[in-house]
Amino acid sequence: MSLFINLFVNGVILGLLYATIALGFSLVLGVSGVLNFAHGVLFALGAYGYWVLKDFMGFWPAMAGATLIVGVIGVVVERLLVRRVYGEDPLFGLVITMGFAMAIEQVLHMIFGAAAKTVNPPAFAQGVLFLGDMMVPYYRLFVALCCVVVLTGTWLVLNNTAFGAIVRAGMYDSEMVSALGHDLPLLRTAVFALGAMAAAFSGVLASSIWSIKPGMGGAFLMPSFLVVLIGGLGSIRGTVLGGLIVGLTTSLLSLVIPRFVDIMPYVIMAVVVYFWPRGLLGKQNILE
Amino acid sequence: MRPKSITRDPYLYIFLAFALYPFYPFLGNFTSLGSELLLFFIFTLSFNLCLGYTALPSFGHGALYGMGTFGAALTFLHLTPGLGIGLSILIGGLTGMLGATAVGWLIRDKKGIYFAMMTVAFSQVMFGLCWRWDEVTGGESGLTGLSRTSFLGLDISGSVPYYYLCFGFFVVCAILIRIIARSSFGMTLQSIRQNPVRATYLGYNTGFYKFLVYALSGFFAGLAGALYCFLAGAAFADIFDWTKSGDVVIATLLGGGTASFYGPIVGSLIFLVCKELISAFWENWLLAYGLFFVLIILICPRGLLGLITDKDHTCGISKEKRES
Repeated sequence: MSLFINLFVNGVILGLLYATIALGFSLVLGVSGVLNFAHGVLFALGAYGYWVLKDFMGFWPAMAGATLIVGVIGVVVERLLVRRVYGEDPLFGLVITMGFAMAIEQVLHMIFGAAAKTVNPPAFAQGVLFLGDMMVPYYRLFVALCCVVVLTGTWLVLNNTAFGAIVRAGMYDSEMVSALGHDLPLLRTAVFALGAMAAAFSGVLASSIWSIKPGMGGAFLMPSFLVVLIGGLGSIRGTVLGGLIVGLTTSLLSLVIPRFVDIMPYVIMAVVVYFWPRGLLGKQNILE
Repeated sequence: MRPKSITRDPYLYIFLAFALYPFYPFLGNFTSLGSELLLFFIFTLSFNLCLGYTALPSFGHGALYGMGTFGAALTFLHLTPGLGIGLSILIGGLTGMLGATAVGWLIRDKKGIYFAMMTVAFSQVMFGLCWRWDEVTGGESGLTGLSRTSFLGLDISGSVPYYYLCFGFFVVCAILIRIIARSSFGMTLQSIRQNPVRATYLGYNTGFYKFLVYALSGFFAGLAGALYCFLAGAAFADIFDWTKSGDVVIATLLGGGTASFYGPIVGSLIFLVCKELISAFWENWLLAYGLFFVLIILICPRGLLGLITDKDHTCGISKEKRES
């Protein structure tokens, strides 16, 4: 029973992290219609940025610095590459971002080497919390808290500000947003940069749980996919729900079918998409 | 066909050039690269039935190829080690078709990005299955010991005879694929690409046509995969990795599969030769490989043949089809 509770808590935390990673992917897909395969490598860039910066400036500034730097990289990538494929076949966006991701991954490999780097959690979050049978490292609680803050913040911004209203309208009909006089290219750049920052932020958080390696983004790109497909595009609640489903599935099913646990989220996704083509909580959007 | 149209047919020259491949000085030393090229031609031509003719952005074609590989390898190891490889190759093709049928039925009504995402997810499932189910697929160590014995009584253990077997399959598949593309079925596919809504209103069951073309494409992809496992003599789970799907997409786009029927052949030729050359000379070839993807989309999104062919005669993706 205690094992179950532990796995459950881990699943929830993992799910929140997945939801945060998928958030940027989902926003970019919704507003720009681009399947951003570079999302994983932006995540890895965040982790490496943090690794480089943390020795100079400590945890908080390094976290902010890495996130901002990747945000700037996001702006550059969007302006130079991704902008060219708006309105084209989705395969073009997929291939161009994938090419960028492969190149950057190889550059990381060349600079930092293939060996994985481990990072200790910051001093304030070391140690383990014991609650009866349950034990959770403080750092994982901190990660969960950060994810909740990011997700709630995004939800509030999307639902309560003028910018959020434009983003939501952009997901529904981007041409109409443009026709109403809003700067659609700027909106897309902003959303891409925010997505990149969310990815980098999750990368920083994840670097102390797992190790940092050039290919680390790949392991989180596919879950982002699943989260978007299961939860539905254009809905923050759907993203959280999708993240929790994927996280809990991978965590809990390791009790039952340890060998095929990494396939199960895909099976769930297939079932969900067959019955709910837009995902569980998805809304009508520009992709239809 | 009249004699004059045969001499104008690009296929004639492609076939002639590759019929003599093992005898070209220097190139003859690379017979296995030649066989791989031929298989890649089959693979990209079949993929282009989806992308260029129906605008189905399938990003999971590597999975169909891999299913063909494993279908053939398993058949060979468990059923027919003494009987030659003919049956294994057929079963490989059918396995690819089975995979495409299963996933195609599920996603036949999905559009654009959703279709692409579902095919990516499918190839990930196949990768996971292959990696974990090691009693059957050998897992990490793969299946080895696929010796080429005979095909319909012919000895094909040497590399040149096997090249000619691949060549024979390439000729048959290439002609079949072109017949499919130019048939009324192919015309229907093009109408679906240009305007799915109009095609639906004209009474075509677009979902069913997409399903059919995906299944057919899966058969040819599986066939290419099946031939590949006997070329390599082994089958590894890596074949399901999505870089394989990336290879076929980029080779097709590079040659201009969306602009010309022959684009995939030109593209595969350039792509595979470049890849072999770069990876032979440079340790960090993945960097060049990634930049290659980016440059192709930036410089010539319609591919090399797209630069040459007349814009009015495209069989490819155009902006207006996105509207629907």
